[in-house]
Amino acid sequence: MDFRLTADQEALTGGIRSFLAAEHGVETVRQLDGGQRPAALRGKLAEMGLAALLVPEAEGGLGLDLVTGALVAIELGRACVSDPIADTALIAAPWLAAHPEGNWLSRLAEGDAIIALAHPANPWVADLDLADAVIGGGKVVALPSPPAETAIETVDPLRRLFAATAVGQDDLLLDLGALMTAGQLIGVADTMLAMAVEYATQRRQFGQPIGSFQAVKHHLASAAVKIEFAKPVLLRAAASQQAPSPVAALHVSHAKLAATDAAIAMAETAIQVHGAMGYTYEVDLHFWMKRSWALAGAWGDRNFHLRRISAGILSGTAPIGAAHTFI
Amino acid sequence: MELSYTAEQQAFRAEVRAWLQANMPAGPLVTLEREEGFHQHVAWERKLASGNWGMVTWPVQYGGRGLDLIQWLIFEEEYWAAGAPLRANQNGIFLLGPTIMEFGTNDQKSRFLPPMAKGEVIWAQAWSEPNAGSDMAAITAKATRDGDHYVLSGQKTWSSRASFADWGFGLFRTDPESSRHKGLSFILFDLNSPGVTRRPIRQLHGDPGFAELFFDDVRVPVSNRIAGEGEGWNVAMATAGFERGLMLRSPGRFQATAARLVALFRQHREHLAPSVEDAVAQAWMDAQAYAYNTYAVASKIMAGGHIGAEASLNKIFWSELDRAMHRTAMQILGAAAELRHLEDGAVNNWLDGYIFSLSGPIYAGSNEIQRNIIAERLLGLPR
Repeated sequence: MDFRLTADQEALTGGIRSFLAAEHGVETVRQLDGGQRPAALRGKLAEMGLAALLVPEAEGGLGLDLVTGALVAIELGRACVSDPIADTALIAAPWLAAHPEGNWLSRLAEGDAIIALAHPANPWVADLDLADAVIGGGKVVALPSPPAETAIETVDPLRRLFAATAVGQDDLLLDLGALMTAGQLIGVADTMLAMAVEYATQRRQFGQPIGSFQAVKHHLASAAVKIEFAKPVLLRAAASQQAPSPVAALHVSHAKLAATDAAIAMAETAIQVHGAMGYTYEVDLHFWMKRSWALAGAWGDRNFHLRRISAGILSGTAPIGAAHTFI
Repeated sequence: MELSYTAEQQAFRAEVRAWLQANMPAGPLVTLEREEGFHQHVAWERKLASGNWGMVTWPVQYGGRGLDLIQWLIFEEEYWAAGAPLRANQNGIFLLGPTIMEFGTNDQKSRFLPPMAKGEVIWAQAWSEPNAGSDMAAITAKATRDGDHYVLSGQKTWSSRASFADWGFGLFRTDPESSRHKGLSFILFDLNSPGVTRRPIRQLHGDPGFAELFFDDVRVPVSNRIAGEGEGWNVAMATAGFERGLMLRSPGRFQATAARLVALFRQHREHLAPSVEDAVAQAWMDAQAYAYNTYAVASKIMAGGHIGAEASLNKIFWSELDRAMHRTAMQILGAAAELRHLEDGAVNNWLDGYIFSLSGPIYAGSNEIQRNIIAERLLGLPR
């Protein structure tokens, strides 16, 4: 029993965090919003080699586990990365490892394919315009040419969503999607907390930083508690899905709910702390707030995941209580 | 990350479970907050000690088992899952014991720790005063040096266990010229000494669990002082750290409550609004989250790390979780929630639990103080 990250996981996460801070900072986010796509960005993201992380070693990947994947998801959320890299690297790769078809895994390992994901939980498919293939209904379908339709409008200015065609259920895809979305939500929340703390430290009223007032401190402390307690839930779910545990789906639902609630509460806290500035397009907070709203409903919304917990815990046979934390 | 137990840890769990099954009291004890119940709980402490299950995390040399933190978590999980009694010895196990181990002399260790471990001497804490609550540095109770004795005078309040306990520990001002954090000393005293008056305070539930203490020239040998004269504040902060940190409330306790809440929900579910179902699901999730976080912190400490201001995150989380779970149970019980006994004649523990849960966000450093600590020390906001 050891609930710590490995030194390798810490190093990898730290490396990705620094890389994204340098290559995908707020300037990049603003440029993407303005419709510019910095030419080198896709290449730089591919250079990180994220798509190979979860591909099995036999297929040329690094064969890392879902715990590492969830940690990477946190970093992608922290930087508000809107590229299809999260779906391809963190969801499609482990799904394909369980459904080896064609040469998609080795193409992922080489950073040579983008894969979109279709699931009935989502009334859209993200980044279909950039995808080489789409996973849906238990199959991988190659996309010879980009879709004819235009993107659907969404509150998140950086997400490109396309109308979904009907596909069947796929539990593994849903659980991987929910898990990695939970990770991104935690990263998104972390950034909003950092932004709110920074604003509260700089902004002065009544002759002092507003962050010195207890009302503001207590708002931020409450949000920090929620974020902090969502993190071990995410890691537990990732380990459970990796194992896989017979109750992994419950742990994934728990992670998605905890991360969603932490991120939504953090978004509301962050806008309150920013005051009227938070209600503008001029401070960058809005990109992260909107990402939290978008991801909150993706890969099973609150209703879906609460119902799953309810079925498993309140009505089900899953063992609960003090002696059943890990068994 | 390795989230499974070793064969050794599983065997340990089985050992704890078997001992508890064989030795648990036949029925529920009278509340610890009444004299009769207090003595029953002390008898249980002695029973635990007879199996060497009293102070499981203490080193063997002081009468403990020398368990590591993962074993402690397993012990606590089994303890609360079995529905074992509250601990009369709480102040000794987690507060005074570790303090004496860290700051006490060899003589103090051999004098105070073994009787504490055996449940022979039950300790009360005496931090707060009428005008020193959250602002503990405002303490005015005095210890005036007179040869090889101190003479204690003044008043302490909200002293938990003090109505019936044997000994107490607290902070007294040894330097009359000092103010705030300076000039305080950490002193142990016999509650039966001449000059000590205990005034039990009826708590919200009607029972006198804690007391006000009056000191009228109480003579205490200087050898009852822990650490140096004037060093009391630092000693007390270390003590408060043990309390707020990992060990005051183990996750097993809340997981057991969550499991009981799920059972209560199943019994009544056809009458309940959907919001109650959500609250019960949330209770299970939050109790699990608290457990995962505690395992994460325990793993970090076992690998040589330490817990600092993060302890404040824990204190807020468990105290608000406990209140929410009991509030939900009261909602499920509906009109029966106010009754002292439920239909089957058993004591309505949800009512007592709800009342007790309201003290959680107040004791051991109010949650307002904890939020200040998080904001200033973890988030770096200006003081």
